[in-house]
Amino acid sequence: MQISMTINGAEHSADVEPRTLLVHHIRESVGLTGTNVGCDTSSCGACTVHIDGEAVKSCTILAVQADGASITTIEGLAAADGTLHPMQEAFRQQHGLQCGYCTPGMVMAATSLLTENPSPTEREVREGLEGNLCRCTGYHNIVKAVLAAASGDPASEPALTPVDVTAGGQR
Amino acid sequence: MRVAGRSEVRLDIVDKVTGAARYASDAVVPGMAHAALVRSTVGHGVLRGVDTAVALAAPGVHCVVTMADFPDVDPFYGEWVRDQPFLARDRVRFIGEPVAGVVADTEEHAHAAAALVVPDIEPLPVLGSAVESLAAADLVIHPDRASEDPELPNVCYRSSFEYGDVDAALAEATYVHDATYTFPAVYHYAMEPHAVLATWSSDGLDVISGTQQPFKVRADLARIFNVPLGQVRVRAPYVGGAYGSKGQSKYEPVTAAMARAAGRPVRLVISIGDAFHTVSRHHATIRMRTGIGPDGGIVGRDTVITYDTGAYADKGPRVARKGAYRAAGPYRIPNIRSVGLSVYSNRVPAGAFRGFSTPQVVWAGESAIDEIARHLGVDPLGYRRQHLKRRGEPFLGDDSPLDADLAEGLGVTAEALGWGSSVPTGRGRGLAVGVKDGGGGAARSEAEVRLHPDGSVEVLAATSELGQGAKTVMGQIAAEVLGCQLADVQVRLSDTAVTPFDRGTNASRSTIGVGAAVERAAEGVRRQVCQAAEEVLGISEGLILDGSDIVVGEHRQPLMELVCASRKLPPEEIGAYSATGFSGNPTGSGPLGAAAAFYEVGYSAAEVEVDPETGQVRISRFVSAADVGFAINPAACEGQDEGATVMGIGHTLLEELEFVDGELVNGTLVDYRVPRTTDLPDDFRSILIQNRDGPGPFGSKGAGEGGLLAVAPAIANAIADATGVRIRELPLTPERVWRAIQPVEPQES
Repeated sequence: MQISMTINGAEHSADVEPRTLLVHHIRESVGLTGTNVGCDTSSCGACTVHIDGEAVKSCTILAVQADGASITTIEGLAAADGTLHPMQEAFRQQHGLQCGYCTPGMVMAATSLLTENPSPTEREVREGLEGNLCRCTGYHNIVKAVLAAASGDPASEPALTPVDVTAGGQR
Repeated sequence: MRVAGRSEVRLDIVDKVTGAARYASDAVVPGMAHAALVRSTVGHGVLRGVDTAVALAAPGVHCVVTMADFPDVDPFYGEWVRDQPFLARDRVRFIGEPVAGVVADTEEHAHAAAALVVPDIEPLPVLGSAVESLAAADLVIHPDRASEDPELPNVCYRSSFEYGDVDAALAEATYVHDATYTFPAVYHYAMEPHAVLATWSSDGLDVISGTQQPFKVRADLARIFNVPLGQVRVRAPYVGGAYGSKGQSKYEPVTAAMARAAGRPVRLVISIGDAFHTVSRHHATIRMRTGIGPDGGIVGRDTVITYDTGAYADKGPRVARKGAYRAAGPYRIPNIRSVGLSVYSNRVPAGAFRGFSTPQVVWAGESAIDEIARHLGVDPLGYRRQHLKRRGEPFLGDDSPLDADLAEGLGVTAEALGWGSSVPTGRGRGLAVGVKDGGGGAARSEAEVRLHPDGSVEVLAATSELGQGAKTVMGQIAAEVLGCQLADVQVRLSDTAVTPFDRGTNASRSTIGVGAAVERAAEGVRRQVCQAAEEVLGISEGLILDGSDIVVGEHRQPLMELVCASRKLPPEEIGAYSATGFSGNPTGSGPLGAAAAFYEVGYSAAEVEVDPETGQVRISRFVSAADVGFAINPAACEGQDEGATVMGIGHTLLEELEFVDGELVNGTLVDYRVPRTTDLPDDFRSILIQNRDGPGPFGSKGAGEGGLLAVAPAIANAIADATGVRIRELPLTPERVWRAIQPVEPQES
């Protein structure tokens, strides 16, 4: 099927098989390999991109379903002059990654999270990123990075408040 | 120090936050074809043949290969025991074992054709676990291999250590604690599945693989295909996590074989589902008997560990040996006997996994010590501190003396948790310490450092960048020694044709091994620069490099000018300063064949709350401490420690590979639950202990595994403190905890 979409501001038209997942279209037809595949069950979130401004796991939809959409991948987040997006800068400053395989999806999910909730608590960041797995960092610095980005100063040391230590078992 | 000891921003960070980082699964070369593997759906059987005709005629297919296509190769690999062929030859031994490979023009075509390959397998009875294998005398998984023990034909490897007279000590003990603990098989879940790209040309074999051990893979490939080492090139780009799952050969031999048969470059990228069927951590059953004397001292410990190695040895024998050794634990115990068994079964092979045999034995040992302290009615912290080995004491046999203050480190950890203060109602506290001999045995590491006349530096070091931050740390070491800025240093990724030899990125050995080699190479380069400065300027004391300039005291000039003057050549002819360095583990025998380079120590302390209605365990507070000697990059060390802790929380509360008759039944991320953001402890602290007492650069020790070792017993000890109930089986799922804390065990109907 002939489809057309805007990816990182550029128009891309292609003839794809109807069963092609969006993530495979992005990686293979368009050649943007920053979006990673970390599972085959929509569990890990490594393939998260923005579709019309909203975070979506790009393995959960078909390329044909994104026909006409505007898509942003990790490659499209920084400014044209290379200046990092504040979320990328926060991951940089807060050591928010190790192997980096989850990072593109994590950064895309986190930017979307802040769009919905510009000043999240630590608890809200943890809950907001529950659909994105990371096996290296233990998440601690990722949460710090998102809080730092939300504060407007990616280099700031976020004050981590213990999460509901006194709440008596409420999760 | 200027560069070392600072939390420098990672050198790979911009690549990784912008999507520019390339992993093996992103690698592409012209003319490349794609591969898919056909895997056994039978757990144990005789492979009578493989019908490839229909698949061969499918669209886009270049070739379909089975082991019959490779009569000239030695297809076996494995550490210590080489028993695993890259495609099944005459038998299949686990569900998921590759039996054929398909090469096609696209991945879709390769997978479609793979579904058309029909293996002809005559089923044999399945040995679904090590327990079944040990009980079976007439069903042998590897009949062509002589067992370690004629009575137990499915034992892959047996290792034992004995010091003193354990039987006499336990007979005379006033109390013998006797308990059996189990540790689940768990999966690494490196987020990037295994990926390999192999190309044959007149230059030989070129392989791009996300491997931890490029030189080990090179050696395997050279042997298997009978090619000289110098004609095999293995490159490891950024690796999307490994944790032990990408050591030795995995899919490199089969991909190289397919590329040879297809006559073109071939890339294989497996799915996570297939990665679940590649390698795991050993399930272990640990029976531990510990004798206590009249004064409360530990007089003897007798341990038998049964590791379920699955269908092929992989690194299982080494796991069994190290586990038996480490089961003795870090306490003063005069009489020790440990036996480690690596046992075949028809499960997915088990091999290396962060901590390498140790989390299993620390789970038993640190649970047992806690049980003993509670039996004696003494504080578990105080009891440990009293009986832990002291710095400088022999660890075991003639191994290196202990290089850490365990009692002090455990005290620091306990204090950070508030040990001794009142515990909130409904909660309990527990702690544990884990120790493993670090460095992975005798091995040589080499590195090269080049200083170009414009002041830029290249470090050639074969440490795979798995996420641990090796690229950055190697750069910091070089910059510190050379006296230059980190920004001027480029650290190249592993490439056996370019980076000098190293055994592999495992056993927390890179900083003390490759790092030391980088340090010496950088010292060699610095000597050359200083010598030139002495010749030309008559001074070199305190020389540093600042971008393209050298600075000596008040004097500043371009490095280029100095080199030209010293070598009496024009700028375009002067070359670079370069030097190689190497390091080797300390000499000395030691019970494991080489003395431990250092001891990796991890401390964990937990405060938990158990929901009596559901059995859900909530970690309200967690403190982890790592004795790293000296943190060359503190943020990287903390990140490793935090990541290890959360991985440990996985096998403690959530993770278990479940097998039914040898078949893995939860091999997807839907059914197999790894920790998520919401599983973090409510309050989580990581502490670095730095006494500059390690063998690595600036007094550093290896790190990255320690944080995992003691998590499970710390949490189980906290649960016991909260509920009075001791659970000896992991993971501590809500159901298991709920059943354990019921006043009366519910009747099975």
